Amino acid sequence: MTSVDTEVPSRKFFFREAIARALVEEMIRDPRLMVLGQDVGAFGGTYREFAGLHARFGAERVRDMPVAEASMVGIGVGAAAAGTRTLVSITYMDFLLLGLDPLVNYAAKLRYKTGGQLRAPVVVKTTAGAKGQGVAHSQCIEAWMMAVPGLRVVAPFTPGDAYGLLKTALREDGPVLYIDHKRLFQTAGPVPMAETFVPLGCARIVRPGYDVTLVSHSYALVPTLAAAEALAAEGISCEVIDLRSLAPLDLSTLCQSVARTRALVTVEEGQLTCGVGSEVAFQVRQEVAIDRVARVGAVPAPVSSNPVLEAACLPDADRVQAAVHAVLGTRSGDGPHRAKL
Amino acid sequence: MSEHDLLRTMLLIRAFERALVARPDHGFQLLSSGEEAVAVGVAAVLEPDDPLLCSGRAIGPALARGLEPGLVLAELLGKAAGPCGGRGGRGHIAQPSKGFFGAHAVVGGNLTIAAGVALALQQEGQGGLAVCIFGDGACASGALHETLNIAALWRLPLLLVCDNNQYAVSTPRSAALAPRNLSDLAAPFGIAGITVDGMDVVAVRDAAQRMAAHARSGAGPAFLECLSHRFTPHSTATRDTRPAAELAALTELCPLRRYADRLRDQGLLDPETQMALEAEAETRVEAACLFADASSFPEVSEVLRDVG
Amino acid sequence: MIYKLQVPGPIADVEEIRILEWHGAAGTLYAENDLVVELETYKAVIEVRAGQAAYLRAVLCEAGDWRRIGETLALLSDSVDEPLPTTTNADDLSALTVAFAIV
Repeated sequence: MTSVDTEVPSRKFFFREAIARALVEEMIRDPRLMVLGQDVGAFGGTYREFAGLHARFGAERVRDMPVAEASMVGIGVGAAAAGTRTLVSITYMDFLLLGLDPLVNYAAKLRYKTGGQLRAPVVVKTTAGAKGQGVAHSQCIEAWMMAVPGLRVVAPFTPGDAYGLLKTALREDGPVLYIDHKRLFQTAGPVPMAETFVPLGCARIVRPGYDVTLVSHSYALVPTLAAAEALAAEGISCEVIDLRSLAPLDLSTLCQSVARTRALVTVEEGQLTCGVGSEVAFQVRQEVAIDRVARVGAVPAPVSSNPVLEAACLPDADRVQAAVHAVLGTRSGDGPHRAKL
Repeated sequence: MSEHDLLRTMLLIRAFERALVARPDHGFQLLSSGEEAVAVGVAAVLEPDDPLLCSGRAIGPALARGLEPGLVLAELLGKAAGPCGGRGGRGHIAQPSKGFFGAHAVVGGNLTIAAGVALALQQEGQGGLAVCIFGDGACASGALHETLNIAALWRLPLLLVCDNNQYAVSTPRSAALAPRNLSDLAAPFGIAGITVDGMDVVAVRDAAQRMAAHARSGAGPAFLECLSHRFTPHSTATRDTRPAAELAALTELCPLRRYADRLRDQGLLDPETQMALEAEAETRVEAACLFADASSFPEVSEVLRDVG
Repeated sequence: MIYKLQVPGPIADVEEIRILEWHGAAGTLYAENDLVVELETYKAVIEVRAGQAAYLRAVLCEAGDWRRIGETLALLSDSVDEPLPTTTNADDLSALTVAFAIV
């Protein structure tokens, strides 16, 4: 699916405002929808992403919870299964680990294990990524969550998609893990004026191109797009795809692109081992037989708060460019791109 | 449930499990034999719509809640006619339309879920009560303490029933849990807690009635500890670790015998009626076996259905 | 002398702001430390206060507009009737001294 952002009447919002807007709309529509989490009430969320909800909908529907992720998620899941849709905010994705039992062992399995009698329409919203906060406040572990049958996983990059994906997630009839990134909250971008839904399993071509397909998601699109820009000056045309939805993956868009470019580089902030890129690369290669594939991801070390070491761990535009050159057999400074194979 | 219903249901559970383990295909089961009074006493005070949740020791609770024994057996054996299509088995059997929100086989895993269910009931404002039965094995888990805390803070309509059979597989309660009375676990949170004899169905029912009324009223959650004894090992795949003398003493504690004795002493049960009730249980269990045996397994083609 | 009021900075992680509210209009005289305009960043509000006495002469953007750090928001002057420059190029203008606080 190609970008339609520029064709639709939009207004520029901060990333956090896109989230709040989706919630306001859905909380008006569904008078039972509740938000649960740490600092979501009067405080309005760590990133002010829930600003205004508490004042508008009250403390019954926007509830602060103590730091106890297993019960945050479990209560959100149980309430949803019993008819009260919930959004559970887990401020740091690292601490989602403490709430994985109710999410993975119960919510994701509920529909299956009850033969369809029960479902858990819960959105667990969490913020991933490194931004100088240390080894236990920096992880991107969405790849682990993609492998859970019964669990949907989405990750917006733009404010428009933050809004559209959250709208969709809040209408799903099963559990959805919605993952944003610390650094995305600094950004602003167009959000459609009209009510809009970004479907699950729908990637977006952010930058059309023809020499290589770059596939990424969330904040990793920043170094990816920067690399694409630099490579364009060298005569290499990159097609950049924003996954938006990790489970399900939009294999169709990915394969159509790679069928044209015949080269694939995946870029993520998470680990390469069993990473998003591994899954994308293998699934694409099952459909489109190419051997020009590379993955870019974090260095296999914990991401500490040390500014030098954190930067060394994370993928940057230089590493993406290097991966593209390696895959294409070109070198930086080669000049206009030589004829494709 | 009437006086006879209490006995009738306990008899059903006992007969059901006896028939179950006699089958070569019984599978991996956790039995409620010996603990029937807990499930039956609690179920006796529930309204039809009150959601009951339980642990992996689910046969007693499921039958006590009124699920058809044929459907329960079908589910345990993995037959498609079971309420979960055979996919839940004993560890996850559920029939929410009958007030049985379901079993969950993760120890302590249903506690926070039950609190969430209670929250939904509180939002509905119809006086509904969520009830969760769990074992002593779950009492050291963080999930219990997190649940107690939130349930107290938010005054959730939640009745927590600890079926304390005093062993977590091979670990006796005294080696696993510092508090002597598990109902004391609720005290730091300001939650009403009581410990009763779990082998006495009347004591369980009466306490459950009071605690259910308390939780339903908006006064906050309640914690009911029932001291019980399981008559079989932890599971059909576990060897018993209790000393022979302890095992021998168990029959004296039988909740069925005790209650039947009580009814007879009160002139509420004559030998003919008791025999009739016992025969009825056997008949229902036979019918359940016929039903389950006639049911087929799910098709392989269904493996991807209802994943979500 | 004509001054330009710029979006103050640098502010950690902030590249652009949105005008929240002007406190004054053409002709308003600000004393030192008067609140001139409030700007919204992704996480907070910035109060921009006059660092010198000056008259607000031309407001170049309105509430809801987006601007980057360093861009010109308004023109001010020492005296109320000084003629404004005819060109729109603010590069030659001096920057108004401001104080800003993140609230």
